[in-house]
Amino acid sequence: MKVLVTVTDVAVVDDEFEIDGLDVDERYLTYELNEWDDYAVEEAVQIAEDVTDVEVVTVTVGPERSEEVIRKALAKGADRAVRVWDDAIAERDLLDAETKAELLAAVAREEEPDLILSGVQSGDDSFAATGVTLAEKLGDEWAAVVNQLDLDQDEGLASVHRELEGGVDELTDVELPAVLTIQTGINEPRYASLRGIRQAQNKPLDVKSLEELGLDGSALESPLRWTATYEPESEGEATVFEGAPDETAGELAGVLRDEGVGQ
Amino acid sequence: MDFALSDEQKQVRDEVRHFANEEIVPVATEYDTEEKFPHDLVEQAAELGIVGANVPLEYGGVGYDYLTNILIVEELFAADPGIGLSISSAAFGADALVAFGTEEQKEKFLRPVAEGDAIMGSAISEPDVGSDVSSVATSAEKDGDEWVIDGNKMWITNGSVGDYFVVVCETDPDAEGRYNGFSQIIVESDRDGFSAEKITGKLGIRASDTAELLFDGVRVPEENLVGTRGAGFLQLMQFFDETRTAVAAQGVGIARGAAERALDYAQEREQFGQPISEFQAIQHKLADMHTQTEAARQLTYKSAWSVDHADDDLTQLASMAKEYASRVAVDVADEAVQIHGGAGYVNDFDVERFYRDAKITQIYEGTTEIQKNIIARELLGKGMV
Repeated sequence: MKVLVTVTDVAVVDDEFEIDGLDVDERYLTYELNEWDDYAVEEAVQIAEDVTDVEVVTVTVGPERSEEVIRKALAKGADRAVRVWDDAIAERDLLDAETKAELLAAVAREEEPDLILSGVQSGDDSFAATGVTLAEKLGDEWAAVVNQLDLDQDEGLASVHRELEGGVDELTDVELPAVLTIQTGINEPRYASLRGIRQAQNKPLDVKSLEELGLDGSALESPLRWTATYEPESEGEATVFEGAPDETAGELAGVLRDEGVGQ
Repeated sequence: MDFALSDEQKQVRDEVRHFANEEIVPVATEYDTEEKFPHDLVEQAAELGIVGANVPLEYGGVGYDYLTNILIVEELFAADPGIGLSISSAAFGADALVAFGTEEQKEKFLRPVAEGDAIMGSAISEPDVGSDVSSVATSAEKDGDEWVIDGNKMWITNGSVGDYFVVVCETDPDAEGRYNGFSQIIVESDRDGFSAEKITGKLGIRASDTAELLFDGVRVPEENLVGTRGAGFLQLMQFFDETRTAVAAQGVGIARGAAERALDYAQEREQFGQPISEFQAIQHKLADMHTQTEAARQLTYKSAWSVDHADDDLTQLASMAKEYASRVAVDVADEAVQIHGGAGYVNDFDVERFYRDAKITQIYEGTTEIQKNIIARELLGKGMV
């Protein structure tokens, strides 16, 4: 059995930052493994630990910088990694969900996994659509926002709980091959062990260009254009009460009463 | 010359930092206050390979070089020195087993430590033996195929929680030369006649276990001898350069932990209508603290690099790093409390603990005064005195 996990590094913006052109100035960005993907990797590794003969492969669309998070996934137990990148991709301002799914689908057609796990969304762009779009392109079954997964390999069935609004769980059986988008909290992601980090240095990490995936520049065409980025004006205001609790509690109660919150 | 860490070293550093911030920082005050040994955290750290990082792969460790080991020590101590020491000391004495132990000893004693199933310790100091290691009075006499051990060991890290100790004993009292006649012998804590009394009321590193060990006719099999009979002191000395470099890394970690907390606090705390970090007096303190910490780190890295690659100047470097980094730890923790003002004098903030924890780095593994003696001795080209 083969599990393909899509992973990405996400930009985390410092508290104080400046915008340079379309994006936040690189000086104010640090990169880390996307939180949702951390849970997806953990879920895949747990499947590999529970079921014999499972290969876990990660796939990333990203520049060389993203190898840091790929190595992290390998250190946690993934067997090998594929990274998609070339100059044509690097020139794009924006990789939308459609484009990313197109590239990931090309890898998936080569790898032919039984199960694809994707984070619900990436923490920086937050399209929350890549996984589902990927399923559509592959013609696979899919389930989004999965917070519990029971896999029946013999039946080729994934029984999932999907987290809906208002605390409602939907229980669905999904036939494999399938794409599941994984919600945080489905498991407890492990720390990478030092032994794992050491072994990860020797695990295969293949870099593939568009051409190697049998694609051309048309795969990058997108109807979306990134037009501007700006910092919205802050409209709220905070009142800080200082003093002893018995005084400040009274002041807070007064404000709540005036605003019509309390009776 | 290359000052950059490798990608792998950065990954190790970042993951240990992540572990330390998530698991150690939130409980540090509790373990300090209660003088409680962090069994669960030591076990968890061992499972992640943090305890046996430089134990060879074939005995369950990770086989990392000394510099990588030093990065780990800094991260643990920057989170909390007491719990940091509990974790990094769980393999105290392992170096002697790696270098001089038999295959059987390595399999029996190293693997459980690297895998988190056992805690070990190194027993050198005695009530009357501190800096003068060559006056060890704990005796081991051969009786048939057993060693019979009598005496006391003092200030032993992990003394009341350890499963076994590498104990420096006098085995040949008639040997000529003040450094001859000592041997390293493994003593398991479940042997008859062994007892340990936990020492409480320490100024700092209170999560770490410290005890007095009492040996009253303790019998261990002769195969518990580590290395060569009579060569114990020389075997021990081979690792002083490494253990001193490790204490230097502890100092760097403490200094960094205190300096980072002071930097954060200075930006939050407002007086006279502005954050105190806007005042030049505070800015200069912060600049000095971070500069000293970085200088101590570079000296420590060079000493660790020398352990791995070139031992020409190692003894001198290790003592320089240990003396300087421990002094920086004490000074930076002092300034961190000063920046916190009254808030730094109570344990609502971590710097109060760092201030107490820092001092031990100037005392154990050779006091500041001993380190200066060694540096001067190396400079003046004198032999061992």
